[in-house]
Amino acid sequence: MSFLIRCPQCGERSVYEFRFGGEDCSSPAKDAPEADWMTYRYVRKNINGVQSEWWFHRAGCREWLQAVRDTVSNEVIETFLPGERPA
Amino acid sequence: VKLRFSNRQVEAQPGDTVAAALYRAGQRIFTRSFKFHRPRGLMCCAGKCPNCLMNVDGVPNVRTCVTPVRDGMTVRSQNAWPSLDLDFLSAAGAMSWAMPVGWYYKTFTNPTAWHLAEPFIRRAAGLGEVLPTTDCEYEHTWMHTHTAVVGGGRAGIAAALDAAEQGETVTLIDDQPVLGGGTRYDRSAGQLAADVLERLESHPSVTILKNSACFGLYEGCLLGALQRQPHAGAVERLIHVRSKRIVVATGQYEVPLLFENNDLPGVMLSSAALRLMCLYRIAPGKRAVVIGDGARAAEVASALADFGIDLVASLPHVDVIRAKGSKHVSSIQATSGTFACDLAVVCGPMVPDAGLVAQAGGKLTWQESAGAFIPADLPENVLVTGSAAGQAQANGQLPTGAGKTSLVCFCNDVTARDLCDGIAEGFDRIEMLKRYTTSTMGPCQGRMCQLAAIGLCSRETRRAMSETGVTTSRPPAPSISLGALAGPRHHPIRRTPLHHLHEESGAVWLDMGEWRRPRYYNSGAATESERACVEREYRAVRERVGLIDVSTLGKLDVRGPDAGKLLDQVYTHRFSDLKSGRVRYAVMCDEAGILLDDGTISRLDEHRYFVTTTTGNLEFVFQTLKLAMATNRWAAHVTNVTGGLGSMNIAGPLARAVLEKLGVRDLETKSFPYMACRESVIGSVPALLLRIGFVGETGWEIHAPAESAEDLWNTLLIAGAEFGITPFGVEAQRLLRLEKKHVIIGVDTDALTNPYQADLAWVAKLDKAEFSGKTALCAASVSEQPDRLVGFILPGDSVPEDGAPVVLDGRPAGRVTSSRYSPARQAAIGLAWVPLQQSEEGATINVRVRGQLVSAIVTHESFYDPEGARLRQ
Repeated sequence: MSFLIRCPQCGERSVYEFRFGGEDCSSPAKDAPEADWMTYRYVRKNINGVQSEWWFHRAGCREWLQAVRDTVSNEVIETFLPGERPA
Repeated sequence: VKLRFSNRQVEAQPGDTVAAALYRAGQRIFTRSFKFHRPRGLMCCAGKCPNCLMNVDGVPNVRTCVTPVRDGMTVRSQNAWPSLDLDFLSAAGAMSWAMPVGWYYKTFTNPTAWHLAEPFIRRAAGLGEVLPTTDCEYEHTWMHTHTAVVGGGRAGIAAALDAAEQGETVTLIDDQPVLGGGTRYDRSAGQLAADVLERLESHPSVTILKNSACFGLYEGCLLGALQRQPHAGAVERLIHVRSKRIVVATGQYEVPLLFENNDLPGVMLSSAALRLMCLYRIAPGKRAVVIGDGARAAEVASALADFGIDLVASLPHVDVIRAKGSKHVSSIQATSGTFACDLAVVCGPMVPDAGLVAQAGGKLTWQESAGAFIPADLPENVLVTGSAAGQAQANGQLPTGAGKTSLVCFCNDVTARDLCDGIAEGFDRIEMLKRYTTSTMGPCQGRMCQLAAIGLCSRETRRAMSETGVTTSRPPAPSISLGALAGPRHHPIRRTPLHHLHEESGAVWLDMGEWRRPRYYNSGAATESERACVEREYRAVRERVGLIDVSTLGKLDVRGPDAGKLLDQVYTHRFSDLKSGRVRYAVMCDEAGILLDDGTISRLDEHRYFVTTTTGNLEFVFQTLKLAMATNRWAAHVTNVTGGLGSMNIAGPLARAVLEKLGVRDLETKSFPYMACRESVIGSVPALLLRIGFVGETGWEIHAPAESAEDLWNTLLIAGAEFGITPFGVEAQRLLRLEKKHVIIGVDTDALTNPYQADLAWVAKLDKAEFSGKTALCAASVSEQPDRLVGFILPGDSVPEDGAPVVLDGRPAGRVTSSRYSPARQAAIGLAWVPLQQSEEGATINVRVRGQLVSAIVTHESFYDPEGARLRQ
């Protein structure tokens, strides 16, 4: 792995500056059945293709960002700060 | 220039490589082969083949043919006993009939046989020896450039100049000591324009890396380059070159032809002979036979003649049967006769050096007209130029000629017969054949043998070359040393602001992650044992007053309108309702209810909290808080203030007296109770005081600006002298906390521990609306835990080691996580994981202590002051 990620604040940087934060999966509702919570805790989609995920710019601005990445080619399609996805 | 080689001095000329100097001095055998210890001499002279690997200045497996000489170098041979010229291990060659392809897999199916044979195999087979005590230095650096050009031959130089003149920054990487590639020794490679090198070297936007082999082309246009001897202080330097565009101009290399004994010293590639003559002015021999076809053979013959070497014969490859000679070629036997000689120059096929392109995902496709695999389908931003692109290829016949014992793979001693046998046994696809025979898997990474192996596979299976295909290219190729990957032996250590004071006080150090902390203090009395030191420090805290440096604690400033909400979400307790000036214990769990970290959280005012974390988890806690902020879009600031604060803990029955003497007021419990905090001034130092009690005595954790920490520490020691204040280290602190049965998360707990197992049920505030891990903790609160973390007392002073097993019915059923001798209980105490049925108060467990089973009593109470009265005094 040596691809580049464009940090919305710092620009294009080596992936080694970042910590991978896993797939983007939102937590179930408070009163959701236990099965949903089990899925949330332990089950990942492990997509073979384009997925939305979290990264932390450890050696840079030290902020979390979201990326849309193709897990096959490691092409980072877009990155944005949480909640600021461009339309 | 002089170097030492096997106890003799060798004179070298400036500009020589090690191998050239040795060759000039008459050395002809350079290595013994991996398996059969066959003598090997120079073959490629270009750093491609495995024939010149030696130990240089203690570094094993150095390609001496591309290593420039330095005065005073020490060069030793490898894998030969007693010497290169007389190697008794070559007896293995006589046993080669007993070691056909795959014998290793077939013979050692029985573990006993393997254990008997292993020591012999390990001694006899292999390359250089890696010494664990080596003091070699390796470096890592990073470079950024617009265009990276790999290869400093004619095409590479042209590409680099072209890009530079268009205004781009260019880095040219070449694996030889001098730029020019084939033009330096091979007339057919053409000539460089007169001023081109000067223009390149003086161009302001061009950086040139010589002696640097590119071993990998990774995604994102990242090249890995390994520079040999960047300076006298380092063996190798690994350079990460990041670029926008890569031009691969790695040229081509020559590979051997197949005939019997094609590996005898004196049989060398034509390019190697040309290099010896043109680069180092060395005559490779006196009487030469040229083997090969067409124009190339004629050209080489004329070059040899120009150098004054007798040309005995020029033979087409098909006519050659074998090379003869015991340790050096003495004649070539061909269908047309036997020709006495001391040099056989092999004009082998030229292979485009396109491994980097293939690594990056490019395809290598067979082109019959060129007789070579040519790069096609180039990856994005990668270009190929010059002979690496197959522009110069015109190979005649493939090197699949006669001779069943011809060596295909020089690295691992794999013969043509081995490959044919492998195919006959069913390993008839090139990838399987590679794995079964280990051909192409040695130090040359298939450079010397891949084409021949593919040719043989194609011929034997009657499949076309294009169908047979190439094996997958993976970095690193060429092979690189582990030292280069590991990098510098420089381990930074974080020191607390009080480090120098500890040093003066005789601290015995303990490395904790990146930090260095005093384990205990041994002040002068060298005879004092560790146990005595720790007990002295322990007694000071229990009976008088002690002072410990806790600057390594993670410290975070959390503020903003949503700070309370943030902490409520991340920690199990409630913090939004914490009153200003109060402190609360804080535990963090993940969504599965697993204990992650603990610390304290103090509320300084309405919007400001002071959070401490364990020493090792600061970064993790920081990231967790930031993630909660990001996902919930909360308005808060989390600032890491760890390095900015010097922290110490003053604890013991006389702690209050020391602080009062320094003018700190209102320290009585009614005005400064347990779990309260206050910003104050001690002496002249502003400080935050937290009244907490990790060690179980009246005490304050004091956080002061790092620059004032030494001052504060000394002030406390001077003021405390009359009360017998004593600095204490981590070891005494661990004993003190263990007597209080305080769990250290990550030491006593593991990656599956929830609070209900660790007697920490009270930390889970399940009535709180929402927090990380709540649903899992709700489930855990009503289910039975299979095992529990409990305290135990073991009469006597035999202390179990950390990790000692708890035994139930003769089987391990749990383990001790921490144990110490408790002066307060006059017994060994500790924490242990036990099965549920043994976890009740007063239950008896069996612990194995140094081979003996001993009985211990389970307890859930703390071992010292269970009511916590001393904390609150």
